[in-house]
Parts: sequence; structure tokens; C-alpha cells
Amino acid sequence: MLEIGLSHYLVLAAIMFTLGVFGIFLNRKNVIIIMMSIELILLAVNINLVAFSAHLGDMVGQVFALFVLTVAAGEAAIGLAILVVYFRNRGTIAVEDIRIMKG
Amino acid sequence: MENLLVEYLPILIFIGLAVGLAVIIPIASLIIVPQKPDAEKLSAYECGFDAFEDARIKFDVRFYLVAILFIIFDLEVAFLFPWAVSLGTIGVFGFWSMVVFLGILTVGFIYEWRKGALEWE
Amino acid sequence: MPLATLPTLTPALPEIFLAIASMLLLMLGVFSSEENNTRTVSYASVLVLIVAIPFVGLVTEGRTVTFGGAFVTDTFAVYIKALVLVSAATAIIMSKDYLKIQGIERFEFPVLIVLATLGMMMMISANDLIALYLGLELQSLSLYVIASFQRDSARSAEAGLKYFVLGALASGLLLYGMSMIYGFAGTTSFDTLANIFHDAHGHVSVGVIVGIVFMLAGLAFKVSAVPFHMWTPDVYEGAPTPVTALFAVAPKIAAMGLFIRVMVGPFGELGAQWQQIIIFISVASMLLGAFAAINQTNIKRLMAYSSIGHMGYALIGLAVAGTAGDAALQALGVQSMLIYLGIYMFMNIGTFACILLMKRDGRMVEGIDDLAGLSKSNPGLAMILSIFMFSMAGIPPLAGFLGKLYVFQAAIQAELYALAVIGVLASVVGAYYYIRIIKVMYFDDPVDELDRGISLEMKAILVVTGVVIVFFVFYPVPLLTGAESATAALFHK
Repeated sequence: MLEIGLSHYLVLAAIMFTLGVFGIFLNRKNVIIIMMSIELILLAVNINLVAFSAHLGDMVGQVFALFVLTVAAGEAAIGLAILVVYFRNRGTIAVEDIRIMKG
Repeated sequence: MENLLVEYLPILIFIGLAVGLAVIIPIASLIIVPQKPDAEKLSAYECGFDAFEDARIKFDVRFYLVAILFIIFDLEVAFLFPWAVSLGTIGVFGFWSMVVFLGILTVGFIYEWRKGALEWE
Repeated sequence: MPLATLPTLTPALPEIFLAIASMLLLMLGVFSSEENNTRTVSYASVLVLIVAIPFVGLVTEGRTVTFGGAFVTDTFAVYIKALVLVSAATAIIMSKDYLKIQGIERFEFPVLIVLATLGMMMMISANDLIALYLGLELQSLSLYVIASFQRDSARSAEAGLKYFVLGALASGLLLYGMSMIYGFAGTTSFDTLANIFHDAHGHVSVGVIVGIVFMLAGLAFKVSAVPFHMWTPDVYEGAPTPVTALFAVAPKIAAMGLFIRVMVGPFGELGAQWQQIIIFISVASMLLGAFAAINQTNIKRLMAYSSIGHMGYALIGLAVAGTAGDAALQALGVQSMLIYLGIYMFMNIGTFACILLMKRDGRMVEGIDDLAGLSKSNPGLAMILSIFMFSMAGIPPLAGFLGKLYVFQAAIQAELYALAVIGVLASVVGAYYYIRIIKVMYFDDPVDELDRGISLEMKAILVVTGVVIVFFVFYPVPLLTGAESATAALFHK
């Protein structure tokens, strides 16, 4: 059996980050899933920060993680609000329908 | 390595118990309880009426507003807790920083109150 | 309780002032009567932003660090902050009529712009990764909301949604890069990072380089440089026009300032690692800005591609600043970039003021065809818009030409000849679509006339920006000295 070390956390964070990025680009169904992917990316960053913080014996990483956590919640709140506005206008939140403007 | 395994032993026991209970209870109910199948038992129950509509409905957008406001004000705890624990070492500046932060939150709260976001109707 | 070590607050005075003012404005709006509060809060916000400029200017010499090294004020910050404050204030002034026409007069609009400005100022003054992130997010979160400010318009909501998703992704990339840099360098402070990389003589671990690449991607998103520009045309088209005017100027300049501070500050010694990437981004942006704009029919969309192109030209300066080891050359690159950004601000504010005057029967129009025959129906407006278009295209002797001249000169001094040649070619192609607008105004048959009548504020904005663009060649000294002392602050610590 092997010791759980820094590299394991980094690999986990990298996998979560990649999943999040792919979740944004491959998902064709629902905008809510995109918002979950964004959260996943931020959580991956938090794992990174906390792992580094423990590894370096330095508190700054944990403080950073707390701030990221807070901003992530604010971001989720604003994202949901924009989504509600969008839904009221269009009656759908399917990703395929977000294309009034080509782009 | 030995130490590591010993430290994780309670978790292993916990997992064992959880899996054991999760298996035993359904099987026990299958064996012990008298079985009288009835279509009514499977139908949706809604205060004695037949179900009006599908449970997967769009519900009122006002719930979203409450949820959004909750997220914002829920978060201050993430800062209050470490602040409270370390209050002894961070000094007067640390104390007043948090008071300023809470003041800013209060301004936001007054805004949403005046805007009527807290009224249900 | 131990006695406090209170940090000196004076370097952050403008930010503190704006923060308190924004909360007061919010309270003013929510406690005053419904009919007039948008006007009151708008005027008060403009006043606050203008009063903040002398506060910013209090810093004259040297470099002050406070809040445990997380916040820095120097002449570089002063220069960028002044540009940002001016453009935010004009965006609020320009929004007045538009909000009334569209029926979205709500006092939150100016307050959100003030908050976004506060975020921009914080990120310009950031001297620590955490401070950078918080400033950036304060800016972005406010801008997401005002992009979708027109709640009853599907296009505005869609613009807000797209901006939100891609902006959040950019923040995620940036953060991931920051976490890697923190982990492999062991600190978030820019000063310490700069020392570490200075001692390392360009030899750093792969983790740091991965971090820098991710941060570059995130920042490129924020300045909408190719290949991270996808959101720009849609957001510019969908967002309310004064918001587009703001987007094209303030956040771009602030993000460019951040770009310079991060790349030249902590990563200045690692120029060899990131210069190639900046050169690629710059070339791609210039070319896309030139070619993709040709077929546009919507003037806001055209301005989006135009701004992508301009960011490409400005990034030439940063590419020059990536020549590690030659401080004079680096300073030249940054200086040319700062001059370019200043000129860019005046050109864009003027152009958007013209776009905001495109009304027919009291409704906003934004097609390029709608400008047909403007020279006959409104010769004054047609002339001033032509000046801005010539300047954007880089026709001498207007300011836009000089801005391009400075960055191309810097590129040639740094022996980045390919960059300069591609830049010149791209601006020749770009001139085509700018001059097409002039052709539409002067030589096409008039369609229905646009509304006349220009409010006093709009006239003032048009005249001031127009005068700056035309007469810059005779009196460029203020901008040049400003850019020079701003650059000096970065390189002589």
C-alpha cells in the first residue's frame, strides 16, 4: 500500500479540473450542468490550494481556499439569477437553444 | 504504514456496519413482514386525493430568490468561524476588520429588505 | 488582546472612498423616491468617480506597499486607474438616454458600474495573487449582472449568460494557474515571487510554467485575445449599448494593466518562457480582428472584432516587454502599450457615443446600413464618426496612427520584425471595414433619417474625444509623460 502524498491530491485536482472543463464544452443539455462544472473547477483549485498549504506548512493556501469558496458561492448566486432571467425570456435552459446570436 | 492502517480502522468498521445494516434491514423486512401486495400501496399519496399532476413540475421562481439570498448570507460563517477561533491573536485590527465586513453585509441586507425581496407576496 | 498593527490606509484611499461611496449610493437609491432616483444616483455616481481621480493622483512619486504587501500604489497604477475612472464615468453619462428609451431606468446600474470600477482598481493595485483574484472577481461579478441588465430582452439575457459561463471558466483557469504557482513557488506575494525567479535565473520547475500558462490563458480571456475571444462578439451585440461601451474600454484597460503588472512584475525574469505565447496571441488577435470584422452588419459586433484586433496591437508592446534581460527594451514595450491603451480609450468612447446616437423614431438601431446617407441628414455626426473610423484604421496624422506607430517601433527595436510586419498588414486589412463605414455614410443612398438632437453631455463627449484624436499629434506630451513615469515605476523599484 502506498502513502497518500501531495502528488495524489494534485492528480485528483487535475482530474476534477479536466472533468469540469469538459463538462462545460461537451454538455449539450442543460445550463445547470455547466454551472455544476464551474463549481467542480473551483473545487479542484481548492483541493490544490489546501494540498499545497499542507505540504508547504503555509497558511496562505488555506486562506486563499476560503476566499475562493466565498467567491464561488457569490458566482453561483449570480449565475442562477442570470439563468432565471434567461428562462423567463426564452422558456428553456437547454444549451442548444442559446444561440439567438451566432457565435 | 502500520500506523496508517490502524488510523483508518474505525472507518473500516463503520463501512462494514453501514453495509451490513443496509443489507440486513431490507432482507429482514422481506422475510419477516407479512406480504399483502396491493396496487393502492404503490400509488402516490396526496392527502387522500389522487395525485393532481406529475411531481416534476416547475416550481415558483421565488424559491430561487430565497435560495440565492441564503447562499450569500450563509457564507459569512466561513469567515466568522476562523475569525472567532483566532480572535485572541489577530488583535484589534482583526476585530474591526470583521465589524467592517459585517457592516457591508448589513448594507446588502437593508437593500434587499427595502427592495421587497424578503416579502413572499 | 494584542495591540493592532494597523496597516497604513492612505495608499488605498481611493479604493476605500469608492467602497464607502458605492454603499452610500446604494442606500441613497433604495431610500429615495421611485421617480427620480436613477437620475440622482447616476449623477452622484459620476461625481464619485470624478472625485476619485484626484484621490488616485495623490500618489506622485515612488512605490507604496500596504496591507502586508498585498496592495501596491505606484504611478503605473495611477495611470491605468485614471483611464479606468474616466471611461467608467463616461459610460454612466452615456447610459442616461439609453436607459430611458429602453425602459430600464434602475438605480442599480450606476452603482454596479461603480462597484465594477472598484474591482478594477483593486486588481490594478494587486501585489498578491489573492488580492488579484478578489479584485478581478468583484469586477467580473458586477459586469455579469450589467451585461444582462435589460431583463426583458432575450438577447441581453443571453449575453449575460454567455459572459458569465466563459468569464467563470476564465476565472477557473486563472485560479488553477495561481494554485500551481503558489504550490511550486511557495508564496502568493508578487515581490517574493519576483525575488525567487530572479535568483533562479530563468530555471524554474515545470509546475510554475504550467501555472504561468494557465494564468496567461485566463488573462487572455479577460482581454478577449484570440484564441479566447469567442464570447466577445455575442456579448457586445447582446448587452445594452452603454454596457458594451463600458466593456470595450474599462475592463479591457484594467485587464491589460493587470497583464502588464503580472507578466513584467513577478514573471519578468521568465520572459523567455512566455514571450512566444504572447507573440502568438498578439498575431492571432490582429489577424482575426482584421478578417472576421469584414462581413459584419451589426455595428456593435463590428466593434467587438475591432477591439479584439486592438488588443492584438496592444499586446505587441507586452511581447516586447518579454525580452528578458534588457530593461530599457522592456520599458519601451510597456510604454508603447500604455500609450496605445490611452489612445484606444478615447477612440472607443467617441465611437460608442456615436453608436448611442443612432436612433430612429425614438428607438435604437445598430445596423451599419442604418448609417447610410448620414452625411446629408447629420453632417456633424458623420464627420466626427469618420474621424474616429480613420483613427481606428490608423490613418495619419490621427492619434490611432501614432499609437500603432509606437508599438510597431517598439517591436522593431526588439527585432520582432515579423510581429511588426503582420501588424501593418492587419491594419491595412482592418482599414477596409472602417473605411466601409465612412463610405456607407457618405456615398450610399440615404434610408430613413436618423433622429437628430444630441444632448449636451453627448456633445461634450464627442467634442472632447474628437479634439484629443485630431490634435494628439500636436500635443502628445501629457499622455507620453504619463506613460513614461508609469513605466518607470515598474522598472525602478
